[in-house]
This record gives sequence, C-alpha cells and structure tokens, in this order.
Amino acid sequence: MSLKRALIVVLALSLAVGLAFGCAKKKAEVLEPITVGGIFDITGATSAVGKDYAQACKDAERYINESGGVEGRKIKLIANDYAYKIPEALNLYKQYRDVNKVFAIQGWGTGDTNALKEQITKDKIVYISASYDSALTNPKKTPYNFFVGTSYSDSIRVALKFVKDQGCSKFVFIYPDHPYGKAPIPAGKAIAKDLGIRVGPDEIVGLRAIDATTQLLHMKKFNPEWAWLGGTTPSCSVIIKDAAKLGLKTKFISNLWGFDENILKMAGAVANERFYSTNPFTFYGLSVPGMKTVLDLNKKYSPKAVHTVRYIQGWSAMMVMWEGLKRAAKAGQLNGPGLKAALESLKDFSTGGLTPPITFTPTDHRPSMGVSIYKVAGGKIVKVTSTSLPRKAAWLGW
Amino acid sequence: MPSGLFHTSYEKDEQIFPTLWLKYWVWGFILFLYLVLPFIAPALSNVVGINVLHMVNMICIFVVGAHGINILTGCTGQISLGHGAFMGVGAYAAAILFMRFDLPFFISLPAAGLITAGVGMIFGIPSLRLKGLYLAIATMAAQFIINYGMRNWTSLTGGSGGFSVKRPEIFGYVLDTDLKYYFLVLTVAIVATLVMKHLLMTKVGRAFFAIRDRYLSAQIMGVNLFKYRIISFGISSFYVGIAGGLFAHYILVVSDEHFTMWLSIQYLAMIIIGGLGHVIGGIFGTIFMVLLPELLRVPVELLSDVYPNVFAVFGTLREMVFGMIIIVFLIFEPDGLAARWATTRDYWKLWPFSY
Repeated sequence: MSLKRALIVVLALSLAVGLAFGCAKKKAEVLEPITVGGIFDITGATSAVGKDYAQACKDAERYINESGGVEGRKIKLIANDYAYKIPEALNLYKQYRDVNKVFAIQGWGTGDTNALKEQITKDKIVYISASYDSALTNPKKTPYNFFVGTSYSDSIRVALKFVKDQGCSKFVFIYPDHPYGKAPIPAGKAIAKDLGIRVGPDEIVGLRAIDATTQLLHMKKFNPEWAWLGGTTPSCSVIIKDAAKLGLKTKFISNLWGFDENILKMAGAVANERFYSTNPFTFYGLSVPGMKTVLDLNKKYSPKAVHTVRYIQGWSAMMVMWEGLKRAAKAGQLNGPGLKAALESLKDFSTGGLTPPITFTPTDHRPSMGVSIYKVAGGKIVKVTSTSLPRKAAWLGW
Repeated sequence: MPSGLFHTSYEKDEQIFPTLWLKYWVWGFILFLYLVLPFIAPALSNVVGINVLHMVNMICIFVVGAHGINILTGCTGQISLGHGAFMGVGAYAAAILFMRFDLPFFISLPAAGLITAGVGMIFGIPSLRLKGLYLAIATMAAQFIINYGMRNWTSLTGGSGGFSVKRPEIFGYVLDTDLKYYFLVLTVAIVATLVMKHLLMTKVGRAFFAIRDRYLSAQIMGVNLFKYRIISFGISSFYVGIAGGLFAHYILVVSDEHFTMWLSIQYLAMIIIGGLGHVIGGIFGTIFMVLLPELLRVPVELLSDVYPNVFAVFGTLREMVFGMIIIVFLIFEPDGLAARWATTRDYWKLWPFSY
C-alpha cells in the first residue's frame, strides 16, 4: 500500500467517524430547534436591497435565541440565496418542505411568492414574504401568506393622494416589467382616475437598467409633474440621475424598495427635492422605542456594518414571526395552522414604532394601512408626512 | 470463446444491449429505479440533506432535454443556443393545451412536443447555409425572439407573472405528489433513452453521424443534408418540448424566467460534460449539472451553525465553484463523463489482469 493510498484511507475513515459522531450528537439534544426556511436574494437583480434584509433576518435569529427563543426552544433559520430566480425559489421550497420539514418560511420576491402561493396553501406552510403585494392579503385566496408592512397598492394610493395635494394633474408610472413592478399599477391607475389625475403612457425600466434616457425622453412628451418609480434603489437612482441630466421638471415618488439610505450615495445632490418615497418602515437609526434594541445589538454583533431601512424590514418580519411562534407555542400548536391562527390573533401589535401597528385577522391579511412619505432634502432623508388609509373592504386583495 | 464483441449479423449489430450481461444490469437498474429508489428516497434525503426525490425528478425531466440537444449537437454536429427557449415552447404549449383547451394529458404532452418540433424546424432552416459559430448566433436569435414572445404575448402566456399549471390527470388519476409524478417522468426518461439509442442505429442516425463527421463526404454518399439537418432539429426539439411539458406540470408555474439563455448554455454544458454523441453522456451530464449546485449548498448549511453569515459570502462563491469545476472537467476529461465511465468499466472488466 503506497503512502498516498494509506493517507486516503485514513482521511476517509476519520471523515466517516467524524460524521457519525456529528450525527449522534445531534440526536442527543433534547429540544430540537424550530427550523424556519429562508429564501433571500444575495446575488440577483434585487441583491442591492436584499443583502441587508437577509442580514437582519440572520441577526434577528441570533437575537431571538439569545433572548430565550420560543419557550426555551431555539429557532434555526436556514438561509439560502436564490438569486431572484423563480425556479431556484421553487427548488428551495421543496427542499424546506420535504427535507427540513419547516412550517414557516421567510421569503422574498413577488414573482416567486405568487408562484408558490398555491402550494403554500396546500402544504399549510406559513410564508412571510418581503413582497408586499396586495394579491397576498386576501385569506380567502392565500390563507398562509403574510407580510409585515403596508401593501404596494396601499402605498401607491397614498402616493397618488399625496401628489394630488401637491397640485399634480399629469402622472406617469415607471416600473420594471416584473411581477414586483406591475403588482400595484392597477390600483394606482384606478385611484388616479378617481382623483381626476391624467395618466400618461407607462414606461418600462428594468431592475438592472444602467440608462433610462430613452424612456425619460419619451415621457417628456407627456410632461407629467410627477412620476411613480416601481424599481429598486439602483434603477431608481439611474432614473433620477438621467432626469436631472435631461433637465426634467418631473418629480418622482417611489415604492419603498426604490428609496433607502444608499440613494444619497448613488444619486447624490440631484435627488434633492426631486425624489420622494412611500415607506411604512422607520429608517435605520431614527429615534423610536424599537430602534434601541436594534442599535444595541448591532454594536455587539457587527459594530462596523452600515445598515439601511432594509434591515428594519427584515428585522420586523422576524419579530412578528417570533411573536406568532410564541403565541402558537403557548397554545401548544407549533405547526403551520397553529402559527397562522397565532398571527391572525395579532391586534395592533407594536413593533416599537419600527412599523405602524400590525393587525391580522382571519378575513384580512393587510398588516397595516399606514404609510409615511419621505424625501431627499439638503443631502438627507427627511420625513414629509405620515398618513393612514381607511381599511376599506373594497381594497382587499388588489 | 470469443475474446471480444464480434457481431456476425445485422440483427446483432442493431441490438440495443449488445451483451447479455449489460442487458441484465440495465434491467436490474431500471427495476431498482422503479421499486426501490422512490421508497428509500425520504430516508436518503435525511442523510444527505438534499431533497432526493425532487432531484431525481429534475434529472429525469432534464435527461429527456439533454438527449434532445445531444441528438442535434452531439450526433449531427449542429450547435444550438436556442434549446432553452425551445423547452419553454414545450412548457407553454403543454400548459396552454392542458389548461385552456382542456385536452387530456396524454394528448397535450405529445402535442406540445410536436409544436416544439415545428418551431425547432423553422429555426433550423438557417442550418442549411450556416455552420458553427454562425449557426450558434442564428439559434441564439431564436432564443431571444421566443423569450421576448413569452414575456410580451401576455394574452397567451400570462406575461412576466407566469402561467399557472395543474398537475396532470391520467385516466382520472391525479399525479398530485412528487412521488406519483416520479413514475411518470421516469417512464418518459427511460422510453426517451431507449428510443434515442435505437434511433442512432437506424438509417437516420447513421446519416446524422455522417453529417457530423464530414458533411461533404456525407453529401457525396447521397445523404440529403438539408433534409437530415431539419429532421435532426425536429427530433431534437421534440425531445426538449416533451421535457418542457413535463417540467411545466411538475413545477406548476411556467414563466419566461425559467427558459433563458442560461438554460440553453446549461444544456450544452450537460452534454459536453457528459460526452457529446453518447447516449449515456446525456444522462451523466444531467446528473452532474442538476446535483452539483445542490451539493455545493450542503457544506454551507453545515458551516452556518458555526459561522452564521457564511451563506451570504458563499452565495456568490457557489457560481464561481460551479464554473471552476466545469473548467477542470474540460481540461482533465475533455471526452466527458461517458469516456471516464468506459475506462472505469474496462478497468474492472479485466481486473486484476489489466495491462
């Protein structure tokens, strides 16, 4: 037996023994952790906003476990990147369902969440998405879909009411041709009609766009006072910069994913008084009671890291899920239907001001109706106003 | 006793399994796939940490597609960068025929294959004049045209939101679980493999090889180049179309995101890694390409107990490792896994008396 072969045998043996011990040790644990699946975008088209969100979920997992977990049981968030690809999300979903046997998943995009919603309902797995698509809020159709925040459609309604108050008479919708971008547009057009705002032809700017001149020049013919941006921060900053370059007078108001702390770096001074945004979440570092926990724990976990409002979004999603798990555990129902019922018992649940109070009922999964409007002014993000829509039954689900 | 394989009649030469030994092995393996694997799959999943049944289903579906492109590229020598889109045509066709026109599954699936074959033959017409790189670009155009159609012909395809599909029903029996679906895709994959193996030994198959090896000589020998190239495109697209139909009914949502340029390249990678022109190459290549990304995830999940943030770093690393492994393969095993399989088998056949 040559040396090489002997070495291989020894290595293989040690690996086998090590694995055997590793497995044996796992079985010896009395309290199994509660596994939660995680589908995040770290490398895909929305990774610019997805990384911080995923980071928040991982940090929240650690925080939850350090503060006692769920009735003494830890939670384990299996985080995976799906690169914003629907097929990969379906892959991960099957993995979590059949191998990890989870009953709760922290998901991400609109396209994949909508693609999964029928299976989620069938498998009775609670799915908390980072897609705030209104189509996910009607429990008659999607009983196991939840999200924390305010839906895209309600945000666009607030945005149009806001621009109407600013004296806007002509409006244009700019968004990527993607389920995420298209989701709130019907709601926006309907309310624009009610408010008597003229809507120009839609413009399509992709999530990975590096130039929007063509679309903006086309938009200039209609010359709207305001335009909606339905992309993410990088594509929105491209539009803002190109609009400034072309000398357009149009102001822009974006979906919450289009506007965060990074816009100050990406767009710079041209965003001043030009770029507004809707957002139900409190920006990172602002003084609300719930922020103190987040700041304290980041001093401990990663003092050098710079976070954005995406961190608050991911954090809030995890905190609401934690509350649901605690209530479900108290009822002795740690499973999909149990967690669903626990979440539906949340009434005006406070996240310490990180979001408006969260309410779910068995007939209405709209978490909140409150939206704030922010803008860039003087090189800083400034809050303009906070409003709340009435919880109209007619607006449920679209 | 003969010391090798000597065929004395045409019947023997055209057998799918040249030796009795091989025949028993293959049938034994098929029995294993039908009777044993599906029932040990859940236990196996827990041990290795990946969803075995799902992986096997994906492999069966993509094996059909890989055979398709292997017929075209491996056997006929016509490169195609449009097979990802052709698979999409099959998927949408199967989905629309099944959901909108309420055709029974055993009609809608072959019909989807035929529609894809038609589309493939149309885009194969340039192959009469174009070769090599030029054909690659022409088929790439097909990829972009079809992909654009899938996204923007909203009334037919549902646009970027995708098209919801139901699990198929065969004579009132709904294949609603992955396990039930497994028997369907496995059967289709086995039939597709046997048909391809047989096809390559017929007149048509010989013509394909002749065109691949030297199209001028083939033409001089009387092979109608245009006819056989189009036939090759047709059969190849039919295979990918069937794969697309199976995929649609398995994944339950068809969207244009599934069928991008990347899928076309993956198909090419499958047969290059597996072995161009070998039936078994398509199978090996598919297994490799489907399993590798999943296997690369396992160490990350194990490590994440110790380093909670490792997944964020590895998310980008995974694609790199994937690329690296493919390069390593091309350098050390340019003839693909099929060639490696043959050498390994020969080694053990003669063991311990190999020289």
